Amino acid sequence: MRIGTIDSIWRYPVKGMRGEEIPHIFTAFTGLMGDRIYGVVAADGDPGHPWHTGRDQEEFLLYKPSYKAGEELLLPQHLDATYSEWEPGIDPIYPDSEAFKVKVETPEGVTYDDIEDPAFISDLEKLTGRSLRVHFTQRGQFDARPVSIFSLSAAARLGEELGMEIDKRRFRANFYVEWDNQDDPFYENSLVGKTLKIGEWLEVAIVARDPRCEMITLDPDTADDTPKLLQHLARNHGGDAGVFAAVIQRGRVNKGDPIFLK
Amino acid sequence: MTLIESFRLTLDGEDHTVPITPGETLLEAALAAGISAPFSCQEGRCGTCKSWLRSGDVSMANVRALSPRNQERGYVLACQSRPSSSEPIWLDFDLSEAQSNAG
Repeated sequence: MRIGTIDSIWRYPVKGMRGEEIPHIFTAFTGLMGDRIYGVVAADGDPGHPWHTGRDQEEFLLYKPSYKAGEELLLPQHLDATYSEWEPGIDPIYPDSEAFKVKVETPEGVTYDDIEDPAFISDLEKLTGRSLRVHFTQRGQFDARPVSIFSLSAAARLGEELGMEIDKRRFRANFYVEWDNQDDPFYENSLVGKTLKIGEWLEVAIVARDPRCEMITLDPDTADDTPKLLQHLARNHGGDAGVFAAVIQRGRVNKGDPIFLK
Repeated sequence: MTLIESFRLTLDGEDHTVPITPGETLLEAALAAGISAPFSCQEGRCGTCKSWLRSGDVSMANVRALSPRNQERGYVLACQSRPSSSEPIWLDFDLSEAQSNAG
């Protein structure tokens, strides 16, 4: 049964920094290609969550990363060769680390041609007073689950409840979706425990609601905070917004793809 | 040192007087008093119970969810805050005024 449509696809080359909207993406068992590939790790960070993010420096959210490579980081080479009727399929080999080079532009307009340029970390350390390093992995550094989903209707309803416009980007989802069911603005909550097929190939199990932290209080364009958003979620929605998914069968997803309930 | 036996709490524009016993956090005391204060993880990580300590002194076990900007504004995490002096405490969950004060 068809239940909705992919409104937009987003990935976050550097954990905690601004995301980028992309037209299509290969989604592996370990999440979207190129999602949270880099992270900035703090020596004095919580051992359980050592990453430096907007929770430590609000303006970190405004740093703009972008890959130097194009299509090769959206769809792996030879992807078609790995699609088969033999489920669950095989994750194709990713490009070497060199292909994942990312440049970063600061809110002040300074551009570092490579996040691994020592000048980037050195300047960030001076700004924050923390001992930091860049951590790279080709398979992502998300907190909990490889794919996050959030609906436009949930953003709209939260905005109505709070009397403010809610930018969907606050929720840093991978897939923003539009549900066909417009009666329940938080329809995704009812999908926990169910399996969705997205587009021609991807299948995901909706495994849990997404418990939120302070990141959603930060305006994605200014980093100003609105604590009442998180307070409202905690007092009225169990602290959750959106859902997490695990990948059952990997594959390509396109903006506008239909979503089916299996 | 005699610590406080109650504190002032502001939420949704309403003031409450909240009894507190030794060892309790401000959040635990508020919840015990039937006040629907916002909270989630209760481990000092999520920031949901971030609030403005308008007066008084507290000690916090974990401040991971408080950025330097938040600390400069006088914000605390209610789930981690215990009274640490006899100074009267005023805890404000309506944070817009604190933000205005911070410019």
